[in-house]
Amino acid sequence: MRLRKLNLRHFRNVDLATLDFSGRRQFLTGANGQGKTNLLEAAGFLTALRSFRATDNRLLIGQGQAVAAIACELEHERLGDTRVTIKLRPDGKELWCDQERVTRLADYLGKFPTVVFSSQDLQLVRGSPAGRRRWLDLTLAAMDASYLRALQTYTKALAGRNSLLKRGGASDQELSAFEQVLAPAAADLIVQRTKGVRELAATLKAAYAQLCDEGEPGALAYEPDFAEPSAEVLLARLEGGRARDVQFRATVAGPHRDDLGFSVRGRAAKDFGSEGQQRSLVLALRLAQAAWFQVRSGVRPVLLADDVLGELDPARRRRFWAAIDAESQVIATGTKPPDAELGAWQLFAVADGTFLENPPDMEAKA
Amino acid sequence: MTPAFEKLQKQLKQLPGLGYRSSERIALHLLVEKPGQLPVLVEALQQAALAVKRCPRCGNLAEGGLCAICADERRDAGVVCVVEHVPDLVAVERSAAFRGVYHVLHGKLSPINGVGPDDLNLKSLLARLATGEVRELILALSNDVEGEATCHYLTQHLPADRAVKITRIGFGLPSGGGVLYADSVTLKSALEGRRDYS
Ligand SMILES: [Zn+2]
Repeated sequence: MRLRKLNLRHFRNVDLATLDFSGRRQFLTGANGQGKTNLLEAAGFLTALRSFRATDNRLLIGQGQAVAAIACELEHERLGDTRVTIKLRPDGKELWCDQERVTRLADYLGKFPTVVFSSQDLQLVRGSPAGRRRWLDLTLAAMDASYLRALQTYTKALAGRNSLLKRGGASDQELSAFEQVLAPAAADLIVQRTKGVRELAATLKAAYAQLCDEGEPGALAYEPDFAEPSAEVLLARLEGGRARDVQFRATVAGPHRDDLGFSVRGRAAKDFGSEGQQRSLVLALRLAQAAWFQVRSGVRPVLLADDVLGELDPARRRRFWAAIDAESQVIATGTKPPDAELGAWQLFAVADGTFLENPPDMEAKA
Repeated sequence: MTPAFEKLQKQLKQLPGLGYRSSERIALHLLVEKPGQLPVLVEALQQAALAVKRCPRCGNLAEGGLCAICADERRDAGVVCVVEHVPDLVAVERSAAFRGVYHVLHGKLSPINGVGPDDLNLKSLLARLATGEVRELILALSNDVEGEATCHYLTQHLPADRAVKITRIGFGLPSGGGVLYADSVTLKSALEGRRDYS
């Protein structure tokens, strides 16, 4: 798909903006804190109605405003020319697709893939398992409502069991009641994560090889806390762990403790990878995510690159761009425009939440 | 407006489905347009507050003794449909597909909100099961995590020496939705297509 027009109102620091995109390469430039990332955040919101950097949608609404709106027109492989409008209020969101109100997220998910390449992505390799699980959940749920449903069931049943454990004094029957909901949802998550990561890992391996020298293969692996996706076995394990969980006042084991492992040449990238290898791994992960979205949805994702290119050495940057299909729309941000050798970009200057196309000083440089 | 008027309007606005405008309209209607209705309404409210209690057998609304459904001898007391709230009972009744009786739990297990088994109308259900007259239990609880957990909890408390058939309706109900939100046709087919549960 290709975004043709993006319209923001009261979104973060953007009071009102309309951007007309021509072609498939857009570059937004400006000092930090002016609104470049906000625009990518709005475009990325299309995919699963989630922000790539905020968990609370209230943060997206401009200060003192009751409602924020994102409206866009796009060319779409399956739907043709499509118009999507999202309204965000402190207590919820409204969604329209071609003037029709969408009330079920399941009817919407998987249609509008975008992938954000962020400078924060390095934390996916270096940071805590929670960040990797969040990435995996967002990736799988963005394409599949059944994954989202299993995740929501698991999360709610886990919260129920944990609050029984926290308060203490719950009977075995009460704990069991929530375990019997928890176990099948856990098995479902493990099955879907195993399959999803297997597919993503194959693409990551290929993407990493494009970015780096051959002979140092990069890999992604699912590291489940408990690998056997059987509801009966999981239920027995929850029952068996009750005494320990009562002591810890929390459910100690389960898919909420799953992790992803990145490695280069078979060694854990978190501990042994160089910074360059770690950066290449997260780029490869995002490329894998894009390829997976395309296979799953039949729609070419829009790539949103938030200030990631400046941090790469020239050789890796060239390889990164070589790995990206000319047919893919890329909306990128940075403090200075991309090298002329990377082709023609539509340039926007961003200052204080406003966007100016073809700023005169930029043209002089290009 | 006056302080007393505002107090009335504020109270009305607490009622389900009433916003600021509609509560104001009702207050004006009662006080200005049809003041004659007011004493009748006040009396009806007082009487209802005094008279309407929970049915000692099933938890449905009743006045002094069994509710109209429990007292109806044509209903099959061997088939008990367990619901969360009285409005759910009303919804199943409206489907006209059910000739058994009910049990209203007045909630579902919700540890996050501090609702445990003792906060539900459970003991009287277990007492009913112990009498042996219940052949089938239809669990018509909401199709979400807490509704499911409540069903699992219930099934663990069935007397082991009695053969009680347990069925669950959830078919056709919107996922995550309560029984109340299902229309009569959906509920009817859900009742007819209920699946075994245990
Ligand atoms: Zn009754």
